Amino acid sequence: MSGSECARPLAEAEAAAQHGIGVRHPATNRRRGQARQLEPEARIARDARLAGWVEAHEEELERHLLRMSLRAEDARDVLQEVWVTALRSPPDDGPDSNTRAWLYRVATRRALDVLARDRRHRELLAERSGRVTPEPEASPDAWVGRLSEETRVRVRACVAGLPRRQREAVWLRWLEGCDYEMIAARLGGSAETARANVYQGLKRLRCQLCEIWCEERST
Amino acid sequence: MSTDVCTYTEDEVLAYVACEMNPEAEAAMAEHLGECEGCCDQAVEFRQLDLVLPSCCKEETIRWHGFETPFGRMYVAASDDGLVRLSWRQADDDAFVHEQETRFAGRPVVRDPEALADAERQLGEYFAGERSEFDLAVDLSALSEFERSVLEGAGGLPFGTVVPYSELARRIGRPKAARAVGNALGHNPVAIVVPCHRVVRQDGTLGGYTGGLEYKEALLTIEGREDLLRAG
Repeated sequence: MSGSECARPLAEAEAAAQHGIGVRHPATNRRRGQARQLEPEARIARDARLAGWVEAHEEELERHLLRMSLRAEDARDVLQEVWVTALRSPPDDGPDSNTRAWLYRVATRRALDVLARDRRHRELLAERSGRVTPEPEASPDAWVGRLSEETRVRVRACVAGLPRRQREAVWLRWLEGCDYEMIAARLGGSAETARANVYQGLKRLRCQLCEIWCEERST
Repeated sequence: MSTDVCTYTEDEVLAYVACEMNPEAEAAMAEHLGECEGCCDQAVEFRQLDLVLPSCCKEETIRWHGFETPFGRMYVAASDDGLVRLSWRQADDDAFVHEQETRFAGRPVVRDPEALADAERQLGEYFAGERSEFDLAVDLSALSEFERSVLEGAGGLPFGTVVPYSELARRIGRPKAARAVGNALGHNPVAIVVPCHRVVRQDGTLGGYTGGLEYKEALLTIEGREDLLRAG
């Protein structure tokens, strides 16, 4: 990559960070738009470090995202958000750190969100037989707000149909955010049992959700 | 795509999506998802599930809690709008949950002691003689309009007072429907909080009580109306 090519993502990431675009990194939990004010020397060092990551990893990350079946423009958007995240909440760059692994994690998680949205987006298009073009999604999970009431009823029925222990464990873990020790304390049994109930419930729900999407596509 | 046989399990893909892997395993899985179409599909589907569940379920869930009282183990259940059930004399937790699953078919029923801690506290205070009215929302939307009007009428009866069935019928604008009022009270899903025990016969005897007449007597005793027990 040439120096000017390397500077492009950096400049875009900088601009995006200033406009509050991008994702939050849980380690720092800094709010959008609250860019850190750095001394000029620190800013130069930060930019140089980011430029180094871009040069070393951008191409392989883009290949990785394309292998995950992202469209080229989505892959570029995801990469942009990776750099914004790295600019705002840089990973530990010490001798024992693994920046490449960190970049892969950030990119992959964001790609999963895009794919989850995109797959549903295509299904919505299919449902409407191409008569209506949905508006671009404002956020990765905006499509969830457009699910039909019938679909919501079916999803609820799937959850309601889980065995009681699985249903309560899934609820506490994925909707209430309890850890497995807390779930075990509430429902009885061990943390391992709680985890097994959550996983069995979620695996069952995944299969049922796929069936719902497929049936909707075929009607 | 890689042609290698995938050695990752569905549990591992789920652990990745749920952020439950250690950093090294997580990084390896992140790379793997770019190589393995099957695992990537699974991860996307779990991610969709993570996005869909809160949106579809959170407001429609029935939460329940069971706790000990002088009446034995008592159960309460609530929607987002308020209490939908208060019950004792249940065989066990499963029986109560099953009753709610049947009554609210298609809606998830989950145990949630925290959400119902206030109901437990207020009922405890009532049984201890420290509370004369409840500050709890009730959700009677599953009932018929007539049943709702009867229970709303009963809900306005103050602590320690009693009225005949016919008087309650008159108050809700159905003066000839005393018997139907009695039936509607018999279907009160949130006894005690909606005090149907404060409705008695015209002749001063207690009449019936779905929860068991001995409990109606106990509730009126808590409210200082032992005189009615002697009359009945």
